[in-house]
Amino acid sequence: MEHMGIEPGRIHFSWVSSAESTKFVQVVNEVTEAVKALGPNNHFITKEAKVA
Amino acid sequence: MLGYIDKIRQISKGLIEDKKVDMIIGFKKGTMPMMNEPCLVKSPKDVEKLVWDSNCGINLANYLTDRKERIGIIAKGCDSRNIVTHIIENKIKREQLVIIGVPCTGMIDKHRLTSMFEGEIEQVTEQNGNITIKGEDFEEILKKNDVLQQNCSVCIHRNPVVYDELVSDLVEEQDVDRYEDVRKIEAMPSEKKWNYFDDLLSTCIRCYACRNACPLCYCPTCFVDESRPQWVGKSDDSIDIRTFHFLRAYHCAGRCTDCGACERACPVGINMRMFTRKLEKDCFEQYGWEAGLSLDERPPLDTYKPEDPDDFIK
Amino acid sequence: MSDWEPKIVAFLCNWCSYGAADLAGVGRMQYPPNIRVIRIPCTGSMSPKFALAALREGADGVWVSG
Repeated sequence: MEHMGIEPGRIHFSWVSSAESTKFVQVVNEVTEAVKALGPNNHFITKEAKVA
Repeated sequence: MLGYIDKIRQISKGLIEDKKVDMIIGFKKGTMPMMNEPCLVKSPKDVEKLVWDSNCGINLANYLTDRKERIGIIAKGCDSRNIVTHIIENKIKREQLVIIGVPCTGMIDKHRLTSMFEGEIEQVTEQNGNITIKGEDFEEILKKNDVLQQNCSVCIHRNPVVYDELVSDLVEEQDVDRYEDVRKIEAMPSEKKWNYFDDLLSTCIRCYACRNACPLCYCPTCFVDESRPQWVGKSDDSIDIRTFHFLRAYHCAGRCTDCGACERACPVGINMRMFTRKLEKDCFEQYGWEAGLSLDERPPLDTYKPEDPDDFIK
Repeated sequence: MSDWEPKIVAFLCNWCSYGAADLAGVGRMQYPPNIRVIRIPCTGSMSPKFALAALREGADGVWVSG
């Protein structure tokens, strides 16, 4: 995805076991931070059909 | 390359006459220059129809999917790799096939030639590595190596990887840097990449010729035809187009042999190989995998190894 | 612009991260409200089209967790 121009950091992958609630919270924080830093997604949004 | 045809016809005739195969899949002369058509030959007298020159860029492995007959197939380097992929994916059995290997020196880029001349090209002939192009009011001789399809000029598997018969001696493999242009894109910042692909795909009309020409695209229902749920819009909106090309490239990850059939089939000359080749490069760099080289090895995306790269996972 | 909050679509595996999210809830842990959770049966069923669909529908980020 990065290859076609989606910023790295918009897509995240992680591995959290069902017992790791602390890690879960930590990853949520990290992901939110990263996406916040990038700002709103401008690419790849389907625009609403124009109504004539 | 031209001399191959006698040998091809001779082998094909023998195979049909000895009832070793029910049909031969090869090429016949097309109705337009540079457009040889695939053809199925079932009787010895039709063998004369078969041709071989530098316009046989279509990937014949495409015609093997789920066939039940015994088939003799003419295979260049890339065709043979796609045949291997077909066998690995259980789309055909090795026992059904007699592979007539053709060492290949590359195919002509018809998009490029067409755009080089104003008028309509009426005749293309080749001799000793030179190509003669004739139109109504022009005639020009070009070196074949200068007008190769881009995937052929960076091809490193010109010789078939599996074959039962061989029509000539193997040709020398090229030693080239396959991914120079992919690296160029990788080095761009995100915004520039986005614009590059926007530009690349701007002419796409969603005709799906690339999908139909591709030997890997044999799903009974393609994801673009699914409507419940509908993952990809059917319009020619730039996002829909991009989604299509992008997902198609993903479906070909670890399977694509860069045969160039998609690009060749494209009526507007889009180089969609920029998508597939990135994934091909990744497969090679991360898993040391090149598609279709061996019948005994499973592809990286359906095996697990503890040493598989996982840096992207937190 | 300062009050913009990202929308992040989280694809969580039923057996791993979804459980972790549940546990985080039971443990009354605090975390940002930006994620919208979609439970998937297993991360093995994750497909690139899900991620693309999320972005197409206006998500700012995608998070896949097994």
